[in-house]
Amino acid sequence: MTNFEKLNNKTVCSGCGRLQDSLKLCFDCQRWQQAGKFLLKNQACFTYNQAMKEYMRMYKFIGDYQLKDIFTKILQSLIKEQGMDIIVPIPVSQQTWLIRGFNQVTAMLESTSYQELLSVALVDKGHQSARQRKDRLISQQPFALSRTIDDLSGKKILLVDDVYTTGATLYHAADLFYQAGVGEVRSVTLAR
Amino acid sequence: MMDKELLFGRMITCPKIQKTDEEYQRTASFIKGVCQRCGQNQRTSLPRNQFYCQACLILGRVSSLDDLIFLPEPNNFDGQVELVWPGTLTKQQVQVSKDLVKSMEQGRNHLVWAVTGAGKTEMLFPLLLKAFQQKKRVALVSPRVDVIVELAPRLAAAFSNLSQVVLHGKQTTPYGYTQLVLATTHQLLRFKEAFDLLVIDEVDSFPFRGNPMLQYAVQTAQKGTSMIAYLTATPTPDLKTAVKRGNLRVSYLPLRFHQQLLPKLQIKRVNDWRLKMPKLLKKQIEVFIEEQRQFLIFVPYVSDLIIVERYLQDYTQLKGTTVHANDPNRIEKVQQMRQKNIQFLITTTILERGVTLPGIDVLILGADETTFSENALVQIAGRVGRSHERPTGLVLAVVKQVNLSVFRAQKQINAMNQRGCQLKKKFGVKDELSPLSAKD
Ligand SMILES: [Zn+2]
Repeated sequence: MTNFEKLNNKTVCSGCGRLQDSLKLCFDCQRWQQAGKFLLKNQACFTYNQAMKEYMRMYKFIGDYQLKDIFTKILQSLIKEQGMDIIVPIPVSQQTWLIRGFNQVTAMLESTSYQELLSVALVDKGHQSARQRKDRLISQQPFALSRTIDDLSGKKILLVDDVYTTGATLYHAADLFYQAGVGEVRSVTLAR
Repeated sequence: MMDKELLFGRMITCPKIQKTDEEYQRTASFIKGVCQRCGQNQRTSLPRNQFYCQACLILGRVSSLDDLIFLPEPNNFDGQVELVWPGTLTKQQVQVSKDLVKSMEQGRNHLVWAVTGAGKTEMLFPLLLKAFQQKKRVALVSPRVDVIVELAPRLAAAFSNLSQVVLHGKQTTPYGYTQLVLATTHQLLRFKEAFDLLVIDEVDSFPFRGNPMLQYAVQTAQKGTSMIAYLTATPTPDLKTAVKRGNLRVSYLPLRFHQQLLPKLQIKRVNDWRLKMPKLLKKQIEVFIEEQRQFLIFVPYVSDLIIVERYLQDYTQLKGTTVHANDPNRIEKVQQMRQKNIQFLITTTILERGVTLPGIDVLILGADETTFSENALVQIAGRVGRSHERPTGLVLAVVKQVNLSVFRAQKQINAMNQRGCQLKKKFGVKDELSPLSAKD
């Protein structure tokens, strides 16, 4: 069994936070740029190694909610370091709420004030890792900006998700905020 | 929806929002806070006033967002099973198997108190055959996964036209509807009113002993009219009490498969064996070397392994190593011993059960310390005398002071041997091999 691998003070891609030899943009991030996106400058606490995959299996797929406590501290301090205006967790669908019973992201944000500005608009997105990467990159916008929100113009938004896999989820979310006129969108994830 | 067969006699979770055919029986997953799969009240909260069961989480989560669904066991078997095992049972095994069949016919539970190495699996064959031919559904379970893994091929080989599935935490083959289920006791939690016959091997071992959840699992997995057969070499006090009160029938198998008695537990007193290698140990090691005898040395704690290993380092011609529960190379080391590449293992109680090493001797250092219960000592004695060629051997408890556990273990072995002697007379078993003494 491997251990969790921390990413702080490691050399990572400046676009998505993945562990690599240089700070240069990785291939995936270059493609996001070519697609006309503003980089998310994602930062992650850990690599998505075997230990983290096993953790996610227990926490998310089996649903052992109390495992949320393991990483609340480290995730929240990374969020704080970013100094952004509004913290926005990636939401889960209504169906997930009725089956899993929790949002794995907000569960880890107990002492952080966040705003649930996003909701899942598309019906269940299915098991993400099962789909082809290409499909995911071009898949439809899964989210909607919820309710009437105060003026977001010029605000700095920090998106929070559990795992950065392809970046598609976070870039879709970012699109909505840029359309609403925010100044900047960045992201933080537990694992990359 | 899934194949109906997969739900016969099973109880599995289904989200409340998911619809199922009317035929499926749905029940709430919690009643008065008690998990309806495992019978425990160990809830962990979820947001929005929901919760889940922590006790049986290892089998997948049961939450207040789920129902439990179930289909009654229809016993869809053809009863065409045959016994193709080529061996024969000894007279005493035949007697016990008849006792078991009788108990099954009367729907009563039965304890088989069999010494280690008595051949209790084979003795089950007549009972199992009868059950299979009567289209009964059978579960053979054990708290110990290694017992199940070892039994599976033997049963598959012994019967023809029998469908069986093996279920335990580490196995990856999917569940299928079969007449015989081989499983760890945990897996019974997924069954409900499924089994007409339930055999529990090594019923006294961890984690079953004193675990209310697993005992609940056994109760739920059996049908109302079923029989439970308990097999063990060292029954727990509960089982002994049930026997005494007449609530549980008992059969004894006091002779081993080669018709010999258990080796006696010998006791020798020494001064602090952790400080200095006792003379007694030196002498015994020299005997082992001279006879090229393989041996196990049991010690109370992991920290003792190195102490004893250092003592043995002086004997350069001796090859051996240490082993304990969290040793990643445990299986290989036992294999090394079995292949006679090494002469000894120094071990914690982890090798107390389940390991068959023919022709070995055993020393138990600190047998008077709390690590070694009465039953643990009896199990350890059962490691010795496991071959036709050498049906007995040395079991030596090295103590500072004889205590109750050591004394009782010695008595338990003697009592079993007394039963064995009577049986030998009754069945006219010849004493072709006389028991060996300490230095034989
Ligand atoms: Zn439960």
